[in-house]
Amino acid sequence: METPLAIEIQGLSVAVAPGTLALDRVDLAVPRGAFVVVLGRSGAGKTTLLRAVNRLVEPAAGVVRVAGHAVTGATPAELRRARRHIGMVFQQFNLVRRVSVLENVLAGRLAHVPLLPSLLGRFPDPDQARARECLAQVGLAHAADRRADTLSGGEQQRVAIARTLAQEPAVVLADEPTASLDPALTDTIMGILRRINLERGLTLVVSQHDVKTGLAYGSRIVGLCRGRVCFEGPPSAVTPAVVEAIYGTGAPA
Amino acid sequence: MSRAAVFVAIVVTAWLAWDTGADPVRLVHGVPWILDFVRRMLPPDLTVLPSTLGAALKTVEIALLGTGVAALLALPLGFLSARNVAPGRLFHPVRAALSFFRSVDTLVYALVFVAAVGLGTFAGVLAVVAYTTTSLAKLYSEAVEGIERGPVDAITATGATRLQILRFGVLPQVLPLFLSYALYRLETNIRAATVLGFVGAGGIGFYLQTYLRTIDYPAASTVLLVTVVMVIAVDGASGALRRRLV
Repeated sequence: METPLAIEIQGLSVAVAPGTLALDRVDLAVPRGAFVVVLGRSGAGKTTLLRAVNRLVEPAAGVVRVAGHAVTGATPAELRRARRHIGMVFQQFNLVRRVSVLENVLAGRLAHVPLLPSLLGRFPDPDQARARECLAQVGLAHAADRRADTLSGGEQQRVAIARTLAQEPAVVLADEPTASLDPALTDTIMGILRRINLERGLTLVVSQHDVKTGLAYGSRIVGLCRGRVCFEGPPSAVTPAVVEAIYGTGAPA
Repeated sequence: MSRAAVFVAIVVTAWLAWDTGADPVRLVHGVPWILDFVRRMLPPDLTVLPSTLGAALKTVEIALLGTGVAALLALPLGFLSARNVAPGRLFHPVRAALSFFRSVDTLVYALVFVAAVGLGTFAGVLAVVAYTTTSLAKLYSEAVEGIERGPVDAITATGATRLQILRFGVLPQVLPLFLSYALYRLETNIRAATVLGFVGAGGIGFYLQTYLRTIDYPAASTVLLVTVVMVIAVDGASGALRRRLV
């Protein structure tokens, strides 16, 4: 049964310490194909929200479903199957430094390939081809055999995106994907994310500290204030008053 | 406060010296005997060189095989005793077992294995394996506990299994360290294997002990010289390999 929602979140709370909630009863419905940008001050819960969607952080309460798969309440095996459909891109890229670019991208295939050969580092030919294709899509086919840590920050983030594409997910979560990069590279990375949203129809949830960038790329904006959703709507509805409500006084331009 | 500490240190040291019979005067009186010992060792008796070289080779073999096997056996134990990746149920039992077996030195293991499998190099190999496995497992687990969390998160997020996460997120981060620790252990095991022969566990130590006991000091000095060259050679080779890893 096809549900039109890519991500359904109901009453999601995450506790960082007893009595301190990083997320407080968040409800959010993300339709398929959306490009959601999550805005908020640092500490508002953007990272926690994204990491709760694939349960890299354990929620205290609430329900998360992604592409029809239950994330909350799933057994470890069910959770792995659900995660296969959820790609993730990180602020610090999180590549394995010492291995080749191609091997990093192949890691995206891990949930698709047979277990034992994968532990020996063997991937079936179609999966290798898939990985190279994804690398080509981010313009780094020529760098396949280089060690990941010899690449620049922007290139590493493109490799991380290729790793996520190799996973063939339904949804991609990107946690401040441009925050560690030179401003000039922001448009490159956000442009690649927009392309995979438009061309592959992937649903994207991207957290952004930069309002202008967020409004330029998002089809839908979610504002987080102290762990709660304080705005939800199209970019055109984000007035200066809304920005001030999300960021408080001294809001960034 | 610090005066009191200095006072306590002096009292403790004095008591330790008294209780162990440490006596600088006796050491001074012993110097002529040491010199006499050295004089009687010279010149080295090179007729025993061929048999000594053979025994030295055996010692290197004991250390190589023992360290190699231990480096592999320590892999699962290193992961199972690392706080950040070990399953909760296994972490404490494995840690406790490792501390217990690590408290015994290679030489003591040699005594046990000579009793179990008889005199010879096999007992020596087993002794090296027993001690090195536990000490490497400890070093491995510390390496695993020091890894970057980010790549592990990234591999976890792909839907990989626990073993795949270890293989692709953890192992590439720690493998160079593991190899470096194993080589370092090889260097210390060469020294440890030198004395294994004293308790009948094979190698060059047997010759050293025999020549000393039969008061054949020129032959003993040949054994010592070969030992020194052997240890320096292995240290050099292993050190060169380690530098290429990091």
